[in-house]
Amino acid sequence: MMLVPYFLLTLKSFGYLSGLGANPVETIIHETGLWGLRFLMLTLLLTPIAYYSKIPSINKLGKPVGLMAFFYLLNHFLTYAMIDQAGDLGVIIVDIIETPYLIVGWGGFLCLLGVASVSFKRLENWFNQNRSTISGLVYTATVLGVWHFYWQAKVVEIESLIYSIMVTILIVWRFKISTSRSS
Amino acid sequence: MLESIYESDKLDFIDMKIKETKIKIPSYEITSESAYLNRRKLIQSVGLLSLGVGISERSFGQDQSVQTLQSIKNEKYSTSEIPNSYSDITTYNNFYEFGMQKSDPYINSGMFEPKPWSVEVSGEANITGTFDIEDLIDFNKLEERIYRLRCVEAWSMVIPWVGIPLSAILKKFEPLSSAKYVSFDTVYRPDQMPGQKRRILRWPYTEGLTIQEAMHPLTLMAVGIYGKELLNQNGAPMRLVIPWKYGFKSIKSINKIRFQERQPKTSWNISAPQEYGFYANVNPAVDHPRWSQARERRIGTGFFGAKQPTTLFNGYADEVADLYRGLNLRKYY
Repeated sequence: MMLVPYFLLTLKSFGYLSGLGANPVETIIHETGLWGLRFLMLTLLLTPIAYYSKIPSINKLGKPVGLMAFFYLLNHFLTYAMIDQAGDLGVIIVDIIETPYLIVGWGGFLCLLGVASVSFKRLENWFNQNRSTISGLVYTATVLGVWHFYWQAKVVEIESLIYSIMVTILIVWRFKISTSRSS
Repeated sequence: MLESIYESDKLDFIDMKIKETKIKIPSYEITSESAYLNRRKLIQSVGLLSLGVGISERSFGQDQSVQTLQSIKNEKYSTSEIPNSYSDITTYNNFYEFGMQKSDPYINSGMFEPKPWSVEVSGEANITGTFDIEDLIDFNKLEERIYRLRCVEAWSMVIPWVGIPLSAILKKFEPLSSAKYVSFDTVYRPDQMPGQKRRILRWPYTEGLTIQEAMHPLTLMAVGIYGKELLNQNGAPMRLVIPWKYGFKSIKSINKIRFQERQPKTSWNISAPQEYGFYANVNPAVDHPRWSQARERRIGTGFFGAKQPTTLFNGYADEVADLYRGLNLRKYY
């Protein structure tokens, strides 16, 4: 179900559903980035949903939804690097350094790369033992992702504004819960 | 599609009079550049350029009736690069009055009414007042000019505009020596332009030029694209085209012109002064604070088309560099 946007995008890139428009590279980069961020937001939302609904098993969805976010953002990054910048490493490095919102986005992506790499079976124990580090990385990635999204636009877009507010509330909530637990 | 156009051209050629033919064109059949070039060749070969031909066409899903326009191609100021397809030019636009997505102007501009149209001229000139578009633009003297258009967002197109030099319009009003700048407003009609309901920019959209820039022969007041009247999403019924500046300077749907002594405040400059200067000349050496301006993606080169280097003044340096002699382009961006 979470792959639906991906399949729609694939269909569009083969010219169906009125296609990708005049700037197909931009469309793919925007769409994959947007869906990656949406799934990332959803990952963070699972904790309060599980908490208030008193259904702790909802927390188990964190891993698949988070991996789905990573899948979209991997596509997002690879389309930028391999197609938009034609895979030229020198150009990519200069472009990222010169473009502040790319530094921020790249930082977020690295956080997720770390999280995704420890989600393999072999590292499952480590994964379970370091949950707080992992959720910290996911929170950091989301903050950087929202910032990256907010910063690349010429004017303030409603969606980035909503995510900024949501992520702020989520972080405040998370701190409150963890401090109330420890006290 | 090709046949129907040839057919109507022939008909008009034979009849030698203005004629209206309704053609319904599905979006996938909108003139490709090759069809357009073939068509141009055909038109030129039968010497139709100076004849009055009127074909009204429905565009896409919207009911926008546009007439064809007669023009003479200005070879001196036209690039030999291949123009973008009509479909790319009319579906991929930045026109925030109709929404912020590139497809929004195409989707949301159907209710805009570009006819009739009048323009208010004011300020430092002998002649001022409100004028009909026909008073401003001599439709018998239209030129076709194929210009590069470079957006500040680092993409570009090649567009066959139809229009007249802005100087030909401005001279009619006999600007005074105190007219150092000219400013332009886009019409403010929130009921027809849904994007204006949100204050994402200061409405009405305002742009401006120095009088030298405004009088420069490359500065065009466009009324058409591909030999047809402008569609609403492209800034109908009249818009500026300043090919050596970033696209946002080329203000659309103009209904006010002011001759001023002082530099006008322009919408993007008000919105983010450190990012969008008054001059906004295309310059690969002066980056936007948030992204590089060194290269651009030419729309229409497809999924694997490489980016190309951006050139100073968008390749019009020979024509316009003199305007900026001695000006620090990094400071006056």
